[in-house]
Amino acid sequence: MQPIDTRGRVVAVNAHPLPYFSLVLDGPEEWRAILPGQFVMVETTDGLEPYLRRAFSVHDLSKTDRGARIELLVKIVGPGTRALAGKRPGEQLPVLGPLGQPFGSTAPDPDSDPSDTRPVALVAGGVGSAPLLLLGRRLLAKGTRFDFYYGGRSSPDLARREAFASLAQASGGRLIATTEDGSAGEHGVVTTALAAHLAAGVYRKIFACGPMGLLKKLAEMSAEHAVPGEAALETPMGCGFGACLGCAVELVTGRFALCCKDGPVFAFDAVKW
Amino acid sequence: MVSSPAPVDPLRVPGSTAALRQPDLTVRLGPLQLPNPILTASGCFGYGLEFAHLAALDRLGGIVTKGLSLAPLKGNPPPRISEPRGGMLNSIGLQNIGIEKFLADVLPGLERFPAKVVVNLFGYEFDDYARLAERVDVFPGVAAVELNVSCPNVKKGGIEFGHDPILLERLVRSVRAVTTKPIAVKLSPNATSPVAIAEAAKAGGADILSAINTVLGMAIDPWTRRPRLHTTRGGLSGPAVKPIAVRIVYDIATKVGLPVIGIGGVESVDDVIEFLLAGASAVQVGTALFRNPRTAEQLVDGLAVRLTEMKVDRVSDLVGGVLLWEER
Repeated sequence: MQPIDTRGRVVAVNAHPLPYFSLVLDGPEEWRAILPGQFVMVETTDGLEPYLRRAFSVHDLSKTDRGARIELLVKIVGPGTRALAGKRPGEQLPVLGPLGQPFGSTAPDPDSDPSDTRPVALVAGGVGSAPLLLLGRRLLAKGTRFDFYYGGRSSPDLARREAFASLAQASGGRLIATTEDGSAGEHGVVTTALAAHLAAGVYRKIFACGPMGLLKKLAEMSAEHAVPGEAALETPMGCGFGACLGCAVELVTGRFALCCKDGPVFAFDAVKW
Repeated sequence: MVSSPAPVDPLRVPGSTAALRQPDLTVRLGPLQLPNPILTASGCFGYGLEFAHLAALDRLGGIVTKGLSLAPLKGNPPPRISEPRGGMLNSIGLQNIGIEKFLADVLPGLERFPAKVVVNLFGYEFDDYARLAERVDVFPGVAAVELNVSCPNVKKGGIEFGHDPILLERLVRSVRAVTTKPIAVKLSPNATSPVAIAEAAKAGGADILSAINTVLGMAIDPWTRRPRLHTTRGGLSGPAVKPIAVRIVYDIATKVGLPVIGIGGVESVDDVIEFLLAGASAVQVGTALFRNPRTAEQLVDGLAVRLTEMKVDRVSDLVGGVLLWEER
């Protein structure tokens, strides 16, 4: 669907261990069509810093009586996210969306081969988990089993891990959490936990979101073990709808794609990491 | 007690017997006539059609395209943008689809709208500008050309012409020789004397001066020690540059004698009026469109309302209307 520029009404700001929180917004019926991996541009302040809107992938989505409710999982990293953390219920925020290509848009649907009943792996680094909850819901609804790999530096970086754990379990899979300081889950990095299973052919597809370093490593593993996959990228974004050309992502073809319009979801083997 | 109040005419000024006229928003910039003085700035509105589902293209005075070159350009490596306080720092590198693709695929779609299409042209070599202008000259859907001689984000070409009055005069003359379309020259705020550059553009045959392009800037991430842009330097735009733009518009409008399009941090009706008073006949809206894609059309409406409040019949009456302080 075409994005619409509308207003979201703040329903709640739900605190998670700092520096994370969820922003819950009520909006129009059109938001019901938002797909996993798509994002919205939110005006965080009517002041001058930041001047431009901020991009947030849609973390969760539900219907309301007359419209839709979205949840954004946010990490406080600067003035824009700090401003959002201070929003009060009832405030109205300009929201443009849905924008971008969803998961499953770069390749044939992972369920297109009915004979392959292996599960898929969802891999998140920190707040990169944001778009993967909605993806998990859709996979569950389709009866696709998935394991959720969740890595962070420290325990707070695994925001909403219980929600991911119960969703994965409902699908028949499980949550594998790792932290670099050992404060939660396994001590280590998420790619180590994933590597043996990829080598053993446990998974038929990977969906990931997180820091570029993690995604690059996953792309290498995806190629090495011939397990295809997609990554949702995070880049600085000016407008979100393909006008400013600020969010270039270099492809293996040498072309600069736009993260906002051609992505944010790209096939692992399409990006020049 | 009055049993039935007199019908209220919303267009009637209280206490006045005359129905209120809609203010005249049309402006003339030399040979270029526009339905209103609000245009979208090059590089901030794509090729126009990107905004078709987000903005009312038919309400704009004009659309200035993303800078177009003879061949498509790939652009600069990321990161390409950063956000200093009150603005945007960019180094896109003039990524564009090339003039041929624009003329074949985009221009026909834009011609459906009353907004005038101004094609922004950019070249690496001296001759590129005339070749581009000659190519678009036969297209009636192109209302004017704007020569980008001031982009700070490419290694060669472009900006050299915008900093050298002798070279620029020759360049504009070479374009003048091949086109009858109005020629606007987009000036750099980074030149030592924008007035001297503007004089050179006029001498070469330019009809209009567009001012300003982005202000050369730089930002560094204190944690990674990396420049926030891959190209180290970039162009600053947005509210942060507005006073620089107003000053340059004022200088060239008062000294050069060509119509001026003011550019730099325009996002409110106050901003538009400020540029008009400084001497601009029209304005271009840039970075604000990324924050709010409807900014330009909202300014058209807001300007009409404001002129009515100010009891100004024609927007052109405001041009150059700044009231300087008396010397004392």
